[in-house]
Amino acid sequence: MLTLSERERYDRQIMIREIGQEGQERLKRARVAIAGTGGLGSPIAIYLSAAGIGMIRVIDHDQVTLSNLNRQILHWEEDIGRKKVDSARTKLRNLNSGVEIEAIEETITENNVSQLVDGCDVIVDAMDNLPTRYVLNRCAIERNIPFFYGAVSGFEGRVMTIIPRESACLRCMYRGPVSEEKFPVIGVTPAVIGCIQATEVIKYLLGVGKLLTNRLLIYDGLKIAFSEFTVNKNPNCDHCGPPLTPSLSPSGERGG
Amino acid sequence: MSVKVHVHATHRQFTNGLEVVDVQGNTVGECLDHLIEQFPGMEKALFAKKDKLHNIVEVYLNHASAHPNELVKPVKDGDEIHLVIMLAGG
Repeated sequence: MLTLSERERYDRQIMIREIGQEGQERLKRARVAIAGTGGLGSPIAIYLSAAGIGMIRVIDHDQVTLSNLNRQILHWEEDIGRKKVDSARTKLRNLNSGVEIEAIEETITENNVSQLVDGCDVIVDAMDNLPTRYVLNRCAIERNIPFFYGAVSGFEGRVMTIIPRESACLRCMYRGPVSEEKFPVIGVTPAVIGCIQATEVIKYLLGVGKLLTNRLLIYDGLKIAFSEFTVNKNPNCDHCGPPLTPSLSPSGERGG
Repeated sequence: MSVKVHVHATHRQFTNGLEVVDVQGNTVGECLDHLIEQFPGMEKALFAKKDKLHNIVEVYLNHASAHPNELVKPVKDGDEIHLVIMLAGG
């Protein structure tokens, strides 16, 4: 049930046919894990808090530095040196005190990932490196938790939604290890990508719309152009394979 | 017989700034060979060694992932190849 204050607070989104009071109650019951509170994690956490998600768990091992501030809008000058999860919790609580914020200062590893996302309905990828994304991807598939992938570099970004057992996963695109490099980025790029990820999370929780499953969306900020590419489950994927349906041919393309 | 290759923004320094290059070939690999013939700088941008793309290079054929074994995928007149880079930032 929504309180009077909640009805007022979320009035404009309750007016949306796809949300309504029932949808708002669904959002209130939802538990979301956001892995990372940086460039992507900031807009994701801010908009999911504003939308009235019941519980948001933010996970990050880092501390705020000056060079974070061009894009990580949860963190301000006064937070430099502070744990990012503490900075995030303060801002998110000030934005919406009705949202329960769990702030976990941990490095995500294969050993602790399952415990870190325990009890959550979705996992949102807001990481800054590929190896941890794969750790999250594998855990999401093993635990059957939807995983919302996003990544950026420069003016470019990409998004895909992964519904375990149904759609292609991040690892289906894996071509081998890549070297880790400091990536260039301007804050508006993760703002766009993070907001698309948050939109996907809200749609999934409400059960409305068409998700970015098997659809890799690529954003080119220099042109303001979006391209969409089909990604099918890879039957040889070491995370989500072997194939779950006989309709997948050995080439990885839909058969018949 | 013509196939269009869409070059990633970070690789256009090797194609005189061209976003789209017309190439000939019967497979994705042949098309990329023809791209490199026209713009030799693309070889190092795309390939780690002969017939082995860099791990961050993704190939999409007619807006669908060509992975795995992308180089041997057949192409036909009018097809489009997009060369995309795997991103890791966040």
